[in-house]
Amino acid sequence: MENVINENNVPAQEEVHYSTFRHALGAVLAFFGFSSKTHRASKKRAKLVGDIVTYIILLFGAFIMVYPFWWMIAGSFTNSSMGAVGPFEGWAWWPTTSTFNTTTLYEIGGFYNYFELFRNGFTSSEFAPGYSYWRAVLNNLIYSIVPVVVGVVTSTMAAFSFAKINWIGRNKVFLFLLAAIMVPGPSIMTAQFVLYDSLGMLNNAAVLIVPGLFGSIMTAFFIRQFLYGLPTSIIEAAKIDGAGYPRIFFGFIMPLALPAIMAQGLLSFMGCWNNYMGSFIFINQQSEWINLPHAMYVMNKVYEGRRDMGPVIAASVMCVLPVIILFACFQKMIIGSLMLTGSKE
Amino acid sequence: MEENVTATQEFAAEAVTEAVVPEKKKRKPINQQKLQDNIWGWVFCLPLIFGTVLFVYVALVMALLLSFTNYNIFSGGVWEFLGRMFSGDQSVFDMTMVSDRLQQGATYDPFYWYKYAFTEKVWNGPGDYCINNGIYVNAMGYTMFNTVFYLIGIPIGMVLSVFFAVCMSRDIKGGSVFRVLYYLPCVASTVAIIYTFKLMFGKTGVFNTLLGTDVPWIIDESYASWPAGNLFWSQGLLSKTMIVIMSVWKGLGGTIILYVAGLSGVNNATKEAAQIDGANGWTIFWKVTMPDLYPVIFYNVVTSVIGGMQIYAEPELFFTSSTQVNLYTSGYVSLIWFYGINDPRGAYASLGAAYGMILAVIIFVLTLFQFWLDSRKKD
Repeated sequence: MENVINENNVPAQEEVHYSTFRHALGAVLAFFGFSSKTHRASKKRAKLVGDIVTYIILLFGAFIMVYPFWWMIAGSFTNSSMGAVGPFEGWAWWPTTSTFNTTTLYEIGGFYNYFELFRNGFTSSEFAPGYSYWRAVLNNLIYSIVPVVVGVVTSTMAAFSFAKINWIGRNKVFLFLLAAIMVPGPSIMTAQFVLYDSLGMLNNAAVLIVPGLFGSIMTAFFIRQFLYGLPTSIIEAAKIDGAGYPRIFFGFIMPLALPAIMAQGLLSFMGCWNNYMGSFIFINQQSEWINLPHAMYVMNKVYEGRRDMGPVIAASVMCVLPVIILFACFQKMIIGSLMLTGSKE
Repeated sequence: MEENVTATQEFAAEAVTEAVVPEKKKRKPINQQKLQDNIWGWVFCLPLIFGTVLFVYVALVMALLLSFTNYNIFSGGVWEFLGRMFSGDQSVFDMTMVSDRLQQGATYDPFYWYKYAFTEKVWNGPGDYCINNGIYVNAMGYTMFNTVFYLIGIPIGMVLSVFFAVCMSRDIKGGSVFRVLYYLPCVASTVAIIYTFKLMFGKTGVFNTLLGTDVPWIIDESYASWPAGNLFWSQGLLSKTMIVIMSVWKGLGGTIILYVAGLSGVNNATKEAAQIDGANGWTIFWKVTMPDLYPVIFYNVVTSVIGGMQIYAEPELFFTSSTQVNLYTSGYVSLIWFYGINDPRGAYASLGAAYGMILAVIIFVLTLFQFWLDSRKKD
């Protein structure tokens, strides 16, 4: 306590003016790191108290951020096969009617909702015949790997061209491409629908794969920012050694820019994995090419009719889980890339 | 001596050839280098240019052209249709087929869909036309109101994320762990999150259980007996608030990361100087940190307003509506989707395109307005 209440520099004259109560208040305030007229708090104490308050605030915020995910996991073990949303109400941590508690219905046990999802979840008259959960996962993998891998390479090519090659009209073309970001996606949605229809891409896989193959402007823009940081002397040296641009690109630029490319690729992978709108608008519900979020939408309609929401929440968990795992593995790379964006703007 | 002479001669000869050859070489390689630069620069850009032109610019021009015509799904190929338009065929503007949608009959009117968008009235009410507790309203006005209501989430999210970002950028252990945890909702699938929140917001769901309240967040079955106007203001606002809460929760992490990055760029020397001059933490935050953070905030607000005007999936998935646009909660984009692609009466791509053009103009004007505010602040 003696270290804490540091009453040096308090003039004796003024001390008289403060009541005992004010003195005590000053002492308490100083203990919690606030300086006042009677007592001056030490900097160390102020820092400690500030840190503790910060931790409490951040932990509270983190709880709010993570709690719905916990609820989702707990909800996927709710036994709702009796009907209605009743089983999902009135509890906050663990379902009152958990699948682990009921022994009557299933030989499968606690993972009933997941088994229901894998077996019957995506098979009903609302879906295409022969559609299943695994087909949805396969579609999603195709939609989020093929366009992303190819698209990131084409975006990097464009970024390399904009950052490191001098060609006539480069800046004009760059502005021309950048202006395309200003066009809101939904406002050209119907025209795209008609366009894809005329190209024969509607209601099959092409509509979610082909546009992605050409790369995206935002990805190219961010990789371009990264490439500006690379020294031009490497390219000059390679040129003197007789390497052409394709060789320079695949031999030097791709490996050197790999962190940025990976981060952008992972971000667009997540975007494609969660791309509900593309599939919903351009692919018919009865097609076997709908992706996982779209299939979940159809499944929700079916199971809401049956008043059995457990499998839908299980599907939600299974849809979120791969992305979360991927993010947890590469969080340093992804967050670093996002931070770079923030400091650049 | 002779050796010397020959040596010098050779040297001279070499010097001459060197002097001559490089000049030749110098001119040629630079040209070739420039040629290479130009060729490969275009080649590397070509895929991106092709994709952007085809899927954005061509689509944009098509949307603009189609919005003046009567094109629908059954009108045949779009290229042939546009060809007819350019060859002067007036039938592409013939609106007699759809004039029953608007009270006054219209024929050969290129601006038909724009007039329609601003003046049409759709039935807003529970159930069928014969139940007499609904009203005729303008769909564009209602959905635009909803969309603007959802923008409330932007200032709330901004204040919260600056607050959390300031907390995170303190010199504490485990700051990066918090960043990851706060970013989790951003990577999760919107559809999965919505189905979870839909159950959490139930009548005795988690929110009401934890808060000890009994708020009817989601429209329940008994709504069929409510008058439509009341439903829009009472129930509609509650449901919209729920979507605002969810989108703030989901978007917080992304902005926090941008602000943390922005805060790390704040000049420490200025801060220390202010501290020595006797400024307290509050003053330092407003007078030193905020001005430095301003560009990031501006960028964030501009992008969130552009994104927020395009809200679609959240309200649409929360309140499933298959037969018409749910005017209580749906965003503006629902109109484009419903009237342009999915209308069971016959979807008119032209109407969707017209709605889309109006949206594009609104977003463009909003963005210009923000840049104008920004330039005024700097003066």
